[in-house]
Amino acid sequence: MPEFGLFLGCNMPAIRPDVEKAIRESLPAVGVKLLDIEGAACCPAFGTFYSVDEEAALAVNAWNLALAEKLGVDIVVQCGSCYSTLKIGRHKILNGWKEVIDRYLQKADLTYTGKTDVRHIIDVYRNVVGVEKIRESIKYSLDGMKAVVQNPCHVLRPSKIVGFDDPEKPTALKDITEALGAKVPYYEREKQCCGGSGGFAKRDKKANLEFTKKKFDSMKDEIDPDLIVVSCITCLLHLDSIQEEMRKQGMIDYKIPVFDYSQILAICLGKDPDKVARLSVTPRDELIGRVLDNRI
Amino acid sequence: MMNFLPFLKRHRGDSMTINLDEERDKTLIEEIIELGGHDLVKCYQCGTCIADCPTGIADEPLSAKRIIHMIKLGLRDRLVEEQTPWMCVTCGGCEERCPRGAEPFEIILAVRRWQCREDETYIPLVLGEIYERGHTQNIVNASELRKSLDLPEVPPTVIDRPEYLERFRKMLRETKVVREYGYIFGIDEEE
Repeated sequence: MPEFGLFLGCNMPAIRPDVEKAIRESLPAVGVKLLDIEGAACCPAFGTFYSVDEEAALAVNAWNLALAEKLGVDIVVQCGSCYSTLKIGRHKILNGWKEVIDRYLQKADLTYTGKTDVRHIIDVYRNVVGVEKIRESIKYSLDGMKAVVQNPCHVLRPSKIVGFDDPEKPTALKDITEALGAKVPYYEREKQCCGGSGGFAKRDKKANLEFTKKKFDSMKDEIDPDLIVVSCITCLLHLDSIQEEMRKQGMIDYKIPVFDYSQILAICLGKDPDKVARLSVTPRDELIGRVLDNRI
Repeated sequence: MMNFLPFLKRHRGDSMTINLDEERDKTLIEEIIELGGHDLVKCYQCGTCIADCPTGIADEPLSAKRIIHMIKLGLRDRLVEEQTPWMCVTCGGCEERCPRGAEPFEIILAVRRWQCREDETYIPLVLGEIYERGHTQNIVNASELRKSLDLPEVPPTVIDRPEYLERFRKMLRETKVVREYGYIFGIDEEE
């Protein structure tokens, strides 16, 4: 049975712990053992130490990598930006920064050799678990439903460091969503960033709303999806809550429920929706009801 | 030689009027390279970096191309005032598509670091929170909610492990940012 250290980050365990619950239910149910990385900290995010002191940022990356290495496992992570900073940080540490960073780790009584790598949860579902295993494990399906998928930017680019999928035509999240029985048709703005990360939404709300509306209108006009499937805490929070803001401002008049992949998988596996998908701004109950009517 | 100045004056607002006497600092480019913009000189101003930038829709979009040009010209005073690097969504689009491998995203991060060094009010205060509890979010506030989901009330991260938190802080106290700006981290500089 493959084993991974579950890296929680900051937003998921604090703001959407139902996603953490969904991951802790779903991955073991499809054959992946999860270990807690005791003592793990902030990844750190690009807007924190990376924007002030690169050496300090790499030291914090190394702290997290070293704690997972002590367990003898690779890291699995859902948050796109945690994945990216850990993966890019690891790349830098192993390509020129190792001696400098080792001195910081010594102060914390830790060592990092580079053995522990970082995998995004989409990569683990697609390439460790596989679509066959997912297909044969589910009890309920998305048969007859149309989904759109939101690939986290941070798992695609820069592809030479973080990539496990085609950066211009990613298929992994689509493959594992189709394994649940949904159709995932292409729409023109499929690859557009959710807009939720970094300082854009905070510094120019109006432009951010206009940017995100383009994406929503494209999916609504071209597909009219039953649900949006994401696999990043920022994509989840932003695409869920910005719909409410756009509705209040009269920019859109529709609602599209948003699920983290592990949440919709957990529901298809027969887990309690009140534990694995309780929190959202845009209502999801009707869609959950339809899935539970689709007993295989 | 043609005189372009009347044209420039007609097509630009006052704030953008070109001032040929503006002070230029030749060391600026070296400072940004040293802070992580290692491939800055490769940029040949093609603009691929801004073609797909999510902030392009904003009135004042982030333009890596423009910022790189400012650095090459050594416009130090303007770069300190520039707010757009903090709009970056960190999507990596510019980094992926730059035909010269100039690594625009790394340059944007280097500019943020340079701004923090020039003007410490740029330093995000969330750094102090990470030092304080190991996370940007106070996960402890979600204890009741977590319990109701049958999760550990507080996860076994550094926020719930005082012995790890002490080691984490000990490591961070070795870093330049904590040594130089102790007040952000609740460290008395007299000690």
